[in-house]
Amino acid sequence: MQPKKYIMGLFRNEDQVVSAVHALEHSPYKIQRVNTPFPSHKILDALKLKKSNVGYFTLAGGIFGFFAGFGLAIFCATKWNLIVSGKPVISLIPFFIVGFEFTIMFAVFGNILGLLALGGLPSFKGLKYYDPRCSADHFGILASCVAEQEDGLKSFFQTQGGEVRVFD
Amino acid sequence: MSALTFAKIDQTVLDTLHPAKRSYWILVALLLLGVLAGAACWGYQILVGIGVGGQNNPVAWGTYLINFVFWVGIAHSGTLISAILHLFRAGWRNPIARAAETMTVFAVCIAGLFPFIHLGRVWQVYYMLPYPNQRYLWPNFLSPLMFDVVAISTYLTVSTLFWYTGLLPDLAAVRDKAQGVRKKIFTYLSLGWTGQHDQWRHYTRGYLFFAALATPLVISVHSVVSWDFALGIVPGWHTTIFAPYFVAGAIHSGLAMVLTLMIPMRKVFGYEKIITMDVLENVAKTIVFTGLIVGFAYGTEYFIAWYSHNIVELESFRWRAVGDYRFGFYIMVICNTLIPLLFLIRKIRRTVVLLFGISILVNIGMWYERFVIIVGGVAHGFSPHAWGLYAPTVIEYGIMFGSFCLFFFLFLLFAKHLPSISMTEMKETLEKGEAHAT
Repeated sequence: MQPKKYIMGLFRNEDQVVSAVHALEHSPYKIQRVNTPFPSHKILDALKLKKSNVGYFTLAGGIFGFFAGFGLAIFCATKWNLIVSGKPVISLIPFFIVGFEFTIMFAVFGNILGLLALGGLPSFKGLKYYDPRCSADHFGILASCVAEQEDGLKSFFQTQGGEVRVFD
Repeated sequence: MSALTFAKIDQTVLDTLHPAKRSYWILVALLLLGVLAGAACWGYQILVGIGVGGQNNPVAWGTYLINFVFWVGIAHSGTLISAILHLFRAGWRNPIARAAETMTVFAVCIAGLFPFIHLGRVWQVYYMLPYPNQRYLWPNFLSPLMFDVVAISTYLTVSTLFWYTGLLPDLAAVRDKAQGVRKKIFTYLSLGWTGQHDQWRHYTRGYLFFAALATPLVISVHSVVSWDFALGIVPGWHTTIFAPYFVAGAIHSGLAMVLTLMIPMRKVFGYEKIITMDVLENVAKTIVFTGLIVGFAYGTEYFIAWYSHNIVELESFRWRAVGDYRFGFYIMVICNTLIPLLFLIRKIRRTVVLLFGISILVNIGMWYERFVIIVGGVAHGFSPHAWGLYAPTVIEYGIMFGSFCLFFFLFLLFAKHLPSISMTEMKETLEKGEAHAT
């Protein structure tokens, strides 16, 4: 199998990236990723990505937290051997507050876990094919091709108005 | 004036991270001295006993609790700005969101110290943790004080994670411009963030959930703080209005603190093109709104005391206005509700010096609000024979001074070592055409 070449097209304009992404769909080259300095909804739409599944992690965390909070309060209440007058041992209204706070806390833990797991963080491998200008004022499209298509991909990016960077 | 560009945003923000001048380090050292003075006072209290503070019957809750509520309140506007205004898509919050979030994290940390200080025997704090023990004692989750432990811990955890998540793309931007050891540090801090589409896809979704979760949290936290008082049958405390009243007051004081911090930072770092007058003006307008809510709450308390025909409530509120602590009451009413009305005049809310001055007055007023509520309630309760007065001692003033020094010390360190404006959000705002470029 021929070794792959990784080439990045660097653009200064969001719209140029969108048009390059559309053009790449009908080309023999493969988009690896698009690096942007901020979340560009135009670009994300052009890439036709599915909705993120982070929400499922958040939901799972929230459900767990709700029962954990309620469970903790109930457990502590039942551990008391001293019953105070006619008050219910398990008081739902005050325990709801504990359940609520735990819901939020564990939903956030789930959210963070989802963000890290799905976003592939922490990982320093991505920095191998990365241009530091992409966190400043450039948008980078990283595409791959076989060695003999290298010139074609370079000129493709140039035609789209981008600057070319070849990674070894 | 030249238009704002992505490069200019980066340059302006990253320039602030250059090695600091000597004057900066002198200021940091002075604040550190203040922190140490506060710590020494606390150390003295631990050594000698809680009696070195002025809290005694009938006023068992004094400055420690006042400062606790004050700092929790300050923390609230950070989440308002970063979460609630994010959900409302208010573009003007972007230049100040990072600093406000940071303010939140530091303010909650400092607020969290005060219950420890108030405990006296701080080494026994572990009693609040649920763990099997030979005393058969478990935390009582019927108590609002335990609600508070849970709420404040949750708020600190969530606001810190929210802050760090927002910081991630900017840490990567700093990494990309840094060299040597600094680059290494920021590489690890940014977790290898590259801003690739898949990261953004999950990040934007996750950030939205963060904001959606932080919004009810911020409301619940100060409601829980208010129930520390409202669930006690003390005249002046035992009222259902406390939760919304405290939440509005918290946001009111937090917004004032945002102005107190942003105005000097804007001047020192040359952020005038990013934190524009329009941004400051919008904060001032929000202060008018929260000030009116707070004013309405003050009025409602009096109305209900009169309408209830409850002689204890009536006496409590009469005494609040004409009794021993009337000075606090008048400072509270004037600084929190009347002075912010000056922001109705456009010229005043667009004059930096006046914005700064009024923000400080609101901070003072909000501190006194907590004084009036907390001390005033227990000092003048049900039984006249149990009435009494309270005055803070030097130790309490020392700890309070230390807490303010700690807050500004931490903020100063942050401002010079991490991006104090979200470059990512500013670029997004600029791309959408919402930034005030000239």
